[in-house]
Amino acid sequence: MNSLIKLELTRALRNRKFLFFSVMYPSLLFLIIAGNADSTSKVDGTGLTLPTYMMVSMASFGALTAVLMGNSERIAKEREGGWVRQLRLTTLPGRGYVLAKTASAAVVSLPSIVIVFVVAAAVKDVRLDAWQWLALTGAIWAGSLVFAALGVAIGYLATGDAVRPITMITYFGLSMLGGLWMPTTTFPQWLQDIAKWLPTHAYAALGQAIEQSRAPHAQDIAILVVSFALFAGGAAWLYRKDTLKA
Amino acid sequence: MTTTAPVVAFDQVSKAYGEVRAVDGLTLTLRPGETVALLGPNGAGKSTTLDLLLGLKQPDGGSVRLFGTTPREAIVAGRVGAMLQSGGLMDEVTVAELVRLACALHPKPYKPNDVLARAGVAQIADRKVNKLSGGQAQRVRFALATAGDSDLIVLDEPTTGMDVTTRQAFWATMREQADQGRTVLFATHYLEEADAIADRVLVLHRGRLLADGTAAEIKAKAGARRIAFDLDGVIDEAPLRELPFLTSIDISAQTVRIQSTDADATVHALYGLGLYPRNLEVAGLGLEQAFVAITAAEEAKQS
Repeated sequence: MNSLIKLELTRALRNRKFLFFSVMYPSLLFLIIAGNADSTSKVDGTGLTLPTYMMVSMASFGALTAVLMGNSERIAKEREGGWVRQLRLTTLPGRGYVLAKTASAAVVSLPSIVIVFVVAAAVKDVRLDAWQWLALTGAIWAGSLVFAALGVAIGYLATGDAVRPITMITYFGLSMLGGLWMPTTTFPQWLQDIAKWLPTHAYAALGQAIEQSRAPHAQDIAILVVSFALFAGGAAWLYRKDTLKA
Repeated sequence: MTTTAPVVAFDQVSKAYGEVRAVDGLTLTLRPGETVALLGPNGAGKSTTLDLLLGLKQPDGGSVRLFGTTPREAIVAGRVGAMLQSGGLMDEVTVAELVRLACALHPKPYKPNDVLARAGVAQIADRKVNKLSGGQAQRVRFALATAGDSDLIVLDEPTTGMDVTTRQAFWATMREQADQGRTVLFATHYLEEADAIADRVLVLHRGRLLADGTAAEIKAKAGARRIAFDLDGVIDEAPLRELPFLTSIDISAQTVRIQSTDADATVHALYGLGLYPRNLEVAGLGLEQAFVAITAAEEAKQS
């Protein structure tokens, strides 16, 4: 299976457009949003400055891009094209394909997280303790697995022309409504009530809790765990259905 | 592991899609070293048969065994190399990278460079997989199927998308595999292809095994040749109907059309009648017609 992960990675690293969107784009977006913000005014109710707050949002957004955008469309395409069938004629275990896809996405998502941190620290003087940087990297990286599972589920759910719009709507919907592009505190109340149930909101809240040096809310952890169970379970169910059909 | 178990054993295997019985009570055995063509028109159940054989589909009834084990166990043991008709390839990687992956995944791999050379894709090794022509992609699929020392090679319509010249070159590549003592099973709808490579031909029609024999036997069974010619003047039908090996005759105006199981003998006898046939044509029956002939014969036998 390592050989497949290696090849998936080689391919991902060769794809400049994908690398730009998942690795550079979040950092650029961070600079656009937080670029003119002064480093003293706080985001309502968080005690964090806008750059500090947006750093976690954009790192989460970058990880989300890497794991969701890369996989769903490819899986749908390779499933239809028959590559998944061809792999089933090798010694690769059944789940190997999905695991390799997830693993390679995870490798790409790491630099997208770290680059946002570096840009935030260098350009906007975001300062945190060493343990916070490490915990942030770990939490955002691990949390991206929730969305990697979602990407796989979409890849097995949708086919052909449907997969791109479904991925896009999910991606932008989760990013925007979850408050990755702007703090949800700027939303009208009714939208805030919806947003706080979204896994992306819980995802970013996890990082912000680390920045605030406090324990994350139980509700956010619960939302992430339930989302992961739902997406991974859905992906596994769709995968089995597809295998029987193929 | 039992070495005496047949390479492939289908026992009363059935598979239906709704009302359509794609494979209907199929029983067959392949022995080591055989080169077998699975011949049939589109929709005969060839691909479903191969999917069942490779464990990609589960039969509704009956059992499929490879080397005395399940298809999956045989694949994991590295005994089977396969190339699917719809065998999509991984995009945006090079041919060499893909072949290296196939070698890495095989329990008894060959060296990637040897695999590339044998499949005839060494000169396009650095090309991206999604930039290949249809025939080149088929060769790459073949390379993936032959990445290791497998005992059984399964190829589903391997020459689809190839022109006549590349097709014949590819046959040589296939024959090499058989010459190494492997069992080679390939699906095709070209009788010519079965004739050129296989020492055993299985004719599949509507999911059932219609005939099992050498290519020559199949052709003979199908009343394999069509003879057409023109005659001047008034045609005397009676002696024509008495021609040897004749299975059917159709006379319209000056044109005579005959089907014969031995065209050489029929034409010889035709000249023996003292006739002077003009525009003489002798051609093989299309496979489609051969099936009609075999099916008609089978149905006549049953009733």
